[in-house]
Amino acid sequence: MTIDTQILTALRAAGDNGVAGTELSQKMGISRAAIWARIEELRSLGYEIEASPHLGYRLLSVPDVLHADDLLSNLGQTKVIGRDIRVFEETTSTNDVIEKLARDGVKEGVVVFAESQTKGRGRLGRKWMSPPRRGLWFSILLRPQLSPTAVTQLTIAAATGLFRGIRAQTGLTPEIKWPNDILIGGKKVAGILTELSAELDKVKYVIIGMGVDVNLSAGEFPPELRKIATSLKIETGQRVNRAELAVNILQELDRDYQRICSGKFEAVANEWEEHCSTIRHNVIIHMGDRKIQGRAESLDTDGALLLRTQHGHLERIIGGDVTLEK
Amino acid sequence: MRLASLDVGRVNLNESGIVDLKDIKAIIDLMKKNSISEFEMERQDFKIKLKRGGNGIAASPQYDDSQMVAYAPAPIPMPSGGASAPQMPSGSSGEVEIKSPMIGTFYRAPSPEAGNYIEVGMEVTPDTVVCIIEAMKVMNEIKAEAKGIITQVCVDNAKPVEFGQPLFKIRPT
Repeated sequence: MTIDTQILTALRAAGDNGVAGTELSQKMGISRAAIWARIEELRSLGYEIEASPHLGYRLLSVPDVLHADDLLSNLGQTKVIGRDIRVFEETTSTNDVIEKLARDGVKEGVVVFAESQTKGRGRLGRKWMSPPRRGLWFSILLRPQLSPTAVTQLTIAAATGLFRGIRAQTGLTPEIKWPNDILIGGKKVAGILTELSAELDKVKYVIIGMGVDVNLSAGEFPPELRKIATSLKIETGQRVNRAELAVNILQELDRDYQRICSGKFEAVANEWEEHCSTIRHNVIIHMGDRKIQGRAESLDTDGALLLRTQHGHLERIIGGDVTLEK
Repeated sequence: MRLASLDVGRVNLNESGIVDLKDIKAIIDLMKKNSISEFEMERQDFKIKLKRGGNGIAASPQYDDSQMVAYAPAPIPMPSGGASAPQMPSGSSGEVEIKSPMIGTFYRAPSPEAGNYIEVGMEVTPDTVVCIIEAMKVMNEIKAEAKGIITQVCVDNAKPVEFGQPLFKIRPT
């Protein structure tokens, strides 16, 4: 833990009682002057920290910024995801940053956040709008002991983890659209892009990129997106604390990653099905120039969608754009 | 015309690289193409004699070095079509296939507006991205994993592919 992480953890633990500078200094083995310098640094980042002769330091409020040490301090112990967190003010795409880290041999579990992305992207190069401090734009590096064909299970797991994180923070109950879009009232609020580097029989690494529209207001969406996209702020009617949301999501993702790694995909898939708006509905799937219509019945063992077509036979769907039939 | 399989029970594919199955195949192809019925070659401690009788071929290799360890490889499948008589032995067997590591949809470009990652005739290195396979929004960037020239694109863009299905062929350089 860095000094900042330790200071913020101690301040949070002390709450309204505050914590004395001497106590911090003894705990961390650095001088009171050094503690003071770190507190000043945190203040400059927007942390409101009161210093009083009687109570010592008290944390009054935290700014709406993502701060790696603070995220680590709030996250506590996770098994894999979030053991290492890095925050960038701006980058092209957090998936790009993770890819570089992956090639450099960085351990799995590292999470990269960016306050804004200049080239945020979805699948097939579709642009993902990521304005500064309005959402959570982040990517995770994983090195699972899975066969490349089983990586699709992670798609399902990422969706359930993201779903629970959003529900825990906001109280909203989103729906999951196959395979891993998160919707509220039929509008997309979060998306996932998974990129895989694999050999024929071995996964080298997996990058899971997520975009969550947190505090965008309706006017910030381009007109063509207003009917199909929303934000947590629009849905709850109030600003959502991004740092707390990030911690909730990472904790839930860590749980689901453990479940996948220990072969408990079925439990994840059951939970996914429970909150999925695609299952038991009539859907249209566009795959290139092909159009398939039918009723979504369930998930296959790898997460593929089992569709009962108009002609009565069961078809396995692993790609394409899914729309609910009105 | 299909040739009878070559008796290679005693051919030693030794580590010194004196002879290689590919070389023998190329010689047979040349013999076939030019209607040569007998071929003999001697080099250092290696001697090979090939004879074509009827529509079959028989080989009787001889070794001077009794230290050579002989083993019996599987019978060589004979090429059913004649190779185009290359100067140097090569043929299609020297090509490498890039196979799909998963079931999914094959994409030749990162986005519909972007150009293809590679075209036939392009040179690639092991790290060159050649395509994307997508399954359930998992985008798998496939690398060439070999150095060479792309000789064939085996699948059309945006079409489904199976596990292990060949995607491209590369002639190693």
